Amino acid sequence: EPQLYKFRTMRQNLLDASDVLDEQIESFTKIVQQHFQLSPSDFGDPTIQAQNEIYTVGRIVPDSPSSDDFLNTESLALEISRMVGIGRRVRLDLTYVSEGSFFSGQIVALRGTNATGDSFTVSELLHLPYPNSPVSTADELEAYKATLNGSDLKVILTSGPYFSDTSFDMDYLMDFVDRINTKVRPHVLIMFGPFIDVTHPMVAEGTIPHFTNLKTQPNTLDEVFIKVVAPVLKKIDQNIQVILIPSTRDAISKHAAYPQDSLDKKQLQLTKNFKLFTNPATFQLNEVFFGCSNVDAFKDLREITKGGNTSMRNRFDRVSELILQQRRFYPQFPGAIKKLEISPGKSDDKVFEHISGADLEIPYLGLTEMVGDFAPDVIVIPSELQHFTKVVQNVIMINPGKFIKPSGAPGTYAQITISSPNINDGKLTRMSDTEPVYLHNVWKRARIDIVSN
Amino acid sequence: NGIDDLQPLESTIPDVERFKDTANLELACPSCRQKFLFGGIVASNYYSICYNGLQCKKCNHMFTPLQTTCQLERCIRSHISLYYAGWLHCDDPTCGNVTRQISVFGKRCLVENCTGVMGYRYSDKQLYNQLLYFDSLFNCEKNKKQEIKPLYHSGDEQYPKEQLTDSSIKALAEQNRELMNLNRGIVQKYLSDCGRRYVDMGNIFEFMI
Repeated sequence: EPQLYKFRTMRQNLLDASDVLDEQIESFTKIVQQHFQLSPSDFGDPTIQAQNEIYTVGRIVPDSPSSDDFLNTESLALEISRMVGIGRRVRLDLTYVSEGSFFSGQIVALRGTNATGDSFTVSELLHLPYPNSPVSTADELEAYKATLNGSDLKVILTSGPYFSDTSFDMDYLMDFVDRINTKVRPHVLIMFGPFIDVTHPMVAEGTIPHFTNLKTQPNTLDEVFIKVVAPVLKKIDQNIQVILIPSTRDAISKHAAYPQDSLDKKQLQLTKNFKLFTNPATFQLNEVFFGCSNVDAFKDLREITKGGNTSMRNRFDRVSELILQQRRFYPQFPGAIKKLEISPGKSDDKVFEHISGADLEIPYLGLTEMVGDFAPDVIVIPSELQHFTKVVQNVIMINPGKFIKPSGAPGTYAQITISSPNINDGKLTRMSDTEPVYLHNVWKRARIDIVSN
Repeated sequence: NGIDDLQPLESTIPDVERFKDTANLELACPSCRQKFLFGGIVASNYYSICYNGLQCKKCNHMFTPLQTTCQLERCIRSHISLYYAGWLHCDDPTCGNVTRQISVFGKRCLVENCTGVMGYRYSDKQLYNQLLYFDSLFNCEKNKKQEIKPLYHSGDEQYPKEQLTDSSIKALAEQNRELMNLNRGIVQKYLSDCGRRYVDMGNIFEFMI
């Protein structure tokens, strides 16, 4: 499966991209039909006038192709699949929807009518079903318990940047490694990039300082990692497994698109306790499924909310639910971009320099869907926003926060402690199947601490 | 109808023509913050290539290798990111729709009743050419033969006041070969992942399977 991420970048085909966008609508149509027990004849084309009420599935888009920014409940449209409505778009009338949350790129299921031919009046927003949770057999759980000798599984999560905006000082990271080795002693340490951020102000200005403790200075950013960062990381105890997940802003990755291929262990000269994973990556530590994605969905997902109950809720709760419902780690489309205004000066025409973005490789977005349509037990999506941990629909959602703040002030990391699985302590739910399998209920067995550096 | 319609092979187009729309490489002096365009081993009012590297003419700061490679790398990455921003435009001049929206029929214009065809505004071909342009700047042989696309034309305000002689360019290229190859390595890192460089044999020979 990691092999699938090894595609070559910088060659997107528009038709392949649109195939994927169409397929998203089609696959959710099937999920909705099955979940709500609807027949294909209940569904119709919302873009054409009809007297009767229909069900429809489509993508939330702005009602004008030129208005990417600042959507509101009056300016939304629904895009239909090729098969149902030859890809047409229709303006949405949400007057009769009392509560809801929408964003560009969201796949929604609606009930309503298009009485005039101009717009589709929504009478009901169907709640998309959450994906199922993974399960394990009693034998598997016993084996995991044995490997831990009955003790807790301890996992540490960190997220870059690992430098402040004004220095390439390694003190924080050295202190951290020291603490990990002597006090914390986790089983696994998961580190998210960027390790060397190409958008770092000192990289842009070429003002990376002289590294006084080095005999030969690094000549490239790759060498900055190899000569400055890797030696510190290699001091991590060999018994601690370290997982590195890149960012599309990582200079040490040549694959600058999401989904992103893993870093190259040999080239980075790392030791055998390092595992280099793709972005996003889904993997198992004992029975626990981790879903890790390193594009800032929490910051980028710009919702349009309707109704007091919806807008009063915590935004991270809402966005977490939307991610689970969409079954993709970054459901926003088009992806966010970050640009900088240059030479404001005389004319009214603003000139922008493109800095970075979500860098979505749309034809491969399938790789960013939740594997096997299962919700991982723990989802980690690092964000520039304030660190948090939440339990949403029995899934633990974590943003460990930045390791170092841009100002150089200490940041945060997350520590997860999960009690070893015990089929007799009542914390695992036995599913009534012919072969007994158990829900992991990690949310009941885990304790998450956000620790200040 | 006839030989006139034949397109020249990409690789036979001279660089000046091939790179006519590429963006320049802008460097900033780490010491005095002066920004200038880098155009290879050529005459410039802002920088000079000395026997031991790149020097800012304003403050005489000598760039360390990392001070150029990191700026080059960041510049390449912002081009790649701009490509992935996925801006599309409509080919109908009366429409002019520019958007990041993609229809489920990718090439269809989303403006009502427009029959134009949508395409990437920053195409993979442009990005590939941009990378090849950066590569040419640090190519010793091309520098020696003075085949690099000129930054300025005579009459431009910033047109260099003094020119370099043929023999000094050759000598400087040899002296700076290591530095040039270091920067070229940065460009090659991204060219090696660039899908456009590789022909998809599967696609071409699909009909035979």
